[in-house]
Parts: sequence; structure tokens; C-alpha cells
Amino acid sequence: MQAGRKVAIVGMGGAFPDCADIAEFDKKIFAGQSLIREWPKAAAYGKQVRSTVSAYINDDDLGLEPIYLMDGYDWPETFVDTRKRIPDLNLSTADLGSVWAMMGSLDSIEMAGWTKAETESEQTAVVIASGGANNVIMRHGWHAFFELGKKSRAAGSHTVDRTMSYREAANVSCLIKNKGVCESIVSACATGLGNIGYAARLISFGLQDRAIAGGVESTSLETFIGFDGMQVLSKGFAAAQSSRPFDVNRNGFVCSFGAGIVALEEYEMAKARGAKILAVIDSYFNNSDGDGNMFYPSYEGQQRLWKGLMANGGVKPDVVKVHGTATPVGDIIELMSVIDTLGEDGYHITAPKSLFGHMLGGAGSVELITAILMLQNQKVTPSINSDNLNTEPEGFQLKEGWTGSTKPAAAYRHMIPQETLAKEINQVVCLNYGFGGTNSAMAISRAN
Amino acid sequence: MDRKEILTGLIEVLRTVRTVDPAKLENVTEETDFLTDMNTPSTELINIAAKVEQKFDIEFEDEDIDEMGSKVKDIIDLIIKVKARTDAEKE
Repeated sequence: MQAGRKVAIVGMGGAFPDCADIAEFDKKIFAGQSLIREWPKAAAYGKQVRSTVSAYINDDDLGLEPIYLMDGYDWPETFVDTRKRIPDLNLSTADLGSVWAMMGSLDSIEMAGWTKAETESEQTAVVIASGGANNVIMRHGWHAFFELGKKSRAAGSHTVDRTMSYREAANVSCLIKNKGVCESIVSACATGLGNIGYAARLISFGLQDRAIAGGVESTSLETFIGFDGMQVLSKGFAAAQSSRPFDVNRNGFVCSFGAGIVALEEYEMAKARGAKILAVIDSYFNNSDGDGNMFYPSYEGQQRLWKGLMANGGVKPDVVKVHGTATPVGDIIELMSVIDTLGEDGYHITAPKSLFGHMLGGAGSVELITAILMLQNQKVTPSINSDNLNTEPEGFQLKEGWTGSTKPAAAYRHMIPQETLAKEINQVVCLNYGFGGTNSAMAISRAN
Repeated sequence: MDRKEILTGLIEVLRTVRTVDPAKLENVTEETDFLTDMNTPSTELINIAAKVEQKFDIEFEDEDIDEMGSKVKDIIDLIIKVKARTDAEKE
């Protein structure tokens, strides 16, 4: 983010697995309690799936009542909000993730204390996305048409608005009636942070004064199956032990679902109206690996990411919130790139995916909220299950041309707390990466 | 299946359409107009038609829907017409 107007985070909300609200999310993650559970919906497919664990949110969680089509389809045609937060008309155009995005947006606006005029202003943006389209609705719609030979209308008249790529932004905008930018920025697992970063740029560059921004991934067995088929999901551990960033026995990530939404505002305006400032965005940077590899993480790409993040100074984190998915290669490349940039001491590293798995398009925003909670609580979230770090260097560390540390992961045990750590935290750096070689980084700090 | 049974079935369908105010379903008659009396969004009429097809196990022609009026009796007329046509095709 180039030097420009300062951006404050003034509100947050979302949908968090196995948690009634953000307060319960806060309580559970700092207690080191895993949100990952055995997922009956996946387990029902027996040997068709490899992995059966997830941090998921059911259709009828969070005060929602799904309404099903009458011929017994098991996908919700629409939802009823039993707590009356969202009007039925808005629910009729929303898939599950859009409902979460709307709930998170309302909570964020309430926390921000924006007036109706401020919310509906031409200076208020909505920038929210998920990793992809809504696979649940598309599967049933296409099945009815192609396999069952039904009329196109059999899927209902809301297939487009409930599955389109920018459905969360569209639904939130229709709900809150903002008159500024309404867009989605999609970059696989960097989506959550990418949308917030883009929204922050809109404010920093003077194009907007406020933004509702974030990332979402709505519960979908269809999405889960895609990753399960790639054999990249964790297998062979009990649910709470299945997400194991940095651990020598890690064998894949846990595919999870959720939503994180924040309210951003130009700092001086927020300060002038006496808003409670949760955090300040010090820097945002994103780039691409540029190595032509869709999946493999790039040490050089991450080095350039850090360089860009730190280009304007003022980045000296007390905590680095890593992407840390618990895939065999990614974790240690990331660890070494952090070490190479910041040194071997003086800060801590945390991988909150150990607590709730990988929320894909929602990961970056839910983890940014986790970072805000770290600033508020002055505590580092624990990297649970990082029980044993490799005492030998990884294969790639021994290859010719490797320029990073050749020490094994175990040499950095002191930097990765397995239990919640209380300490002074003034700044947290958040890192997220996605397929295609996209990398995002954001530094946030306490308001004072 | 007489008109009263069809109306009852139709109201069951309408109860699952969330953009239709449930309170307005209490006094539905054949003269009730979806658009003017019940404020149903026009995009929702196609949803109602699709659900009616499933409920009554019939399939409308596209022209049937294009020409359909917006009153409850128009839908009942259409259901009766299409049901008769479907039964004739089966025989």
C-alpha cells in the first residue's frame, strides 16, 4: 500500500464454525480448543472420500432455518432468519455464504457505529468474495437439467444470483444499500485477505472513505471433494488433532468453512467521530510467484512479498500469523522465508489453521480477525498439534541453489508457541497464499 | 382433484416461498393477485411455477407460463388444463 490515507479497522463479524458468535470464537481459539470435527456429511460417503474432518457450519446453525424444495432435494432453496436480522427478500437471493456475509456485515456496521447515511453513502464500498461459485446450488441445478432432463426453471429462478462469483458482495450491497464500489476480488486462498487489502487501497488512495470487506467460503461437500480428490487433505488423525502445521507428521490441510467481514474507515474520519478503532492497517502488499507453477510455493515469491510489505518502513511485527496450512512442503518454505526476513528471535509465529483448518476463500479474513483478537487480547494464538518439529532439514533445504536457512524446523521451536502466549503485541503481520502463485501480506497494529 | 384441493396445495407451495408474506396467505382466494395483492416479486412467479410443477407432478409448456395471468385462479386453471393434458398423454 503506497503512502496515502491511513486506514482503520472499526468493526468485524462473520460466521465461525462450532461457535455461536465472534465472542465464542475468541474464547475457544485462545483456549486452544479445536473447532474441527468429524463431518457426518463427508463420512456418509464411506470409501468415496479420503478425509472426513472439517470445521464446518451446518445449514441450520447461526439461527438459520433452511427451506427445502418439496421433492426432497437436500439443498436449501432459501433460508429463514429466525432472529429477523435479514429480510426474506434479501434471503431469497442469497446462498449460505451470502447469508453469513450479510450477518457479518450487519455486525461490523453495528460495531463501527456508522449512521444510515454513512452506510448508504457514495463513499462506502462493499468488497467481499469467496474462493469460487456456489457448488452446492450449481450441482443440483445442473443435475436437474442434464441428468433428469427437467426444464431449466426446475432449479428455480435464483440460480444466477445465488451462485455468481460476486454474490456475497452483491447481496451485502443490496442489503446495506451502499452507493460506492461493489466488487469481488478473487484469488483462491488469498481471497479473504485480498479483498480487505483491495478495500484498504480504495480508502488509502482516496477513492472511498469506508468499506465493508472480507472473504467467505460456504459449507460445501462439493468443494471439499475437489480437494479430497487432489489427496491434499489431512488423513489419519482424530478431528481435533488433524490440522498440524509445522508438525513432522503433517500430511495435508483440513478443508473448512466460514466467513470473516471487517468494516474499514479512513483513520482521521474514524478518529474524529470517536469510533473505537480495533486496529490500523500499516501496510498491504500482494504479488505473484512468477515461476509458472500453479501449486508449489515459492521461496523467492515470498521473499519479494516481504520486501514489498516492508518497502515503506514501519513493519516490525511482534507476531507473524502465517498461512501454515499443514501441507508437507508449504509450511517449512514459509517458515524459512519468515526467518530469513525477520531473524531467529524477537517475535513469534502462529498458525491458527491448527485450530480451525483452512477456510479457503474465508481463510484470510477469518485469520485477520484472529490477528485483531491477538491485538485486543495481547495474546498469541497457540499452534496446537505442532507437537514434533523435524530435527532434520527438509529435502529442498539441501538442494543446490537453496538460499534460505539450512537449519531444521526444530531449531525454531522457541518461536512457535504450542500454548496461548501472553505478551506485548503492537503489530501482527498476516500472510496468505493461493493456487496460481498469488501471495498477500498485511501488517496491522494497535490503534495507539 | 377439485379446485379447492388445488388451492390448498397451492397455498402449501406458497408457504415455502419466503418472499410471500405468510400473513397474506390466511385470506387467499381465487381472485387474489400475486403481483398487486401479495407484492410477490415477478422473479418469484417462475419459482412458484417450478414448485407447482413438482407439487402436482406436471410440466408446463413455456407458452403456458408466458401466457399465465397473475391471479390465483389463473394458476389453478393452468394446473387443471395441464393435468388433463398430461393424463390424456398417458392414456
